Amino acid sequence: MSSASPTLRHQVVRIYKDLLFLGRDYPQGYDYYRTRLRKAFASQRHLTDEDQIRKGITRAEFVKKEIEALYYLKRPVF
Amino acid sequence: MFRTALLRSARQAARSTPRWQTPIARPAARSSLLQSKQIIPAAYFQAVRCYSASAGLSKDEVQGRIMDLLKNFDKVTDASKLNAESHFHNDLGLDSLDTVEVVMAIEEEFSLEIPDKQADAIHSVKQAVDYILSQPDGKGAIPILRH
Repeated sequence: MSSASPTLRHQVVRIYKDLLFLGRDYPQGYDYYRTRLRKAFASQRHLTDEDQIRKGITRAEFVKKEIEALYYLKRPVF
Repeated sequence: MFRTALLRSARQAARSTPRWQTPIARPAARSSLLQSKQIIPAAYFQAVRCYSASAGLSKDEVQGRIMDLLKNFDKVTDASKLNAESHFHNDLGLDSLDTVEVVMAIEEEFSLEIPDKQADAIHSVKQAVDYILSQPDGKGAIPILRH
């Protein structure tokens, strides 16, 4: 991750932060969420190709939308 | 007699404090203060006085709070290396993702938001303490106003 251009690095850190923030209300608990999120990011740490990293960021954005959708579906119904 | 005078001054102080509050509001903390006001006014005064103390945060307090936070962080295994100068990566063995988590925990601890750029520059306990103290709410603001 450190070998990539600084802007890409920022993007990765930002999406990690966003995802961490979203996970605070995760149904199975924050710790469950945090360890998995960390594993998911750590498993991609070998990526050096910028296009591959961009693809990873797109995937993270997609996951973010999925989690938002999950919360939307799990919201209390009145 | 002395008691009533004390309480009166306390109430006045409590009333006048909102003027000294900085724009960074903490609604959650304030609502709990309001609740306690209805129950015990003395405690309300005490809480407000602590909350709006003009001295701000002392360096030791900031340092202590950050170090407590790191002590409780599960990735920090070697707590003996933890001191005021510890580097997150070199001394504590945290990687960049852990650093992001630490910075988020600091944001939560001090109820502030650290912009991405500044958050990226925080790599050690000392840098975190300096950043917190450089905030308008921190003690760092006072010397700047004097000069």
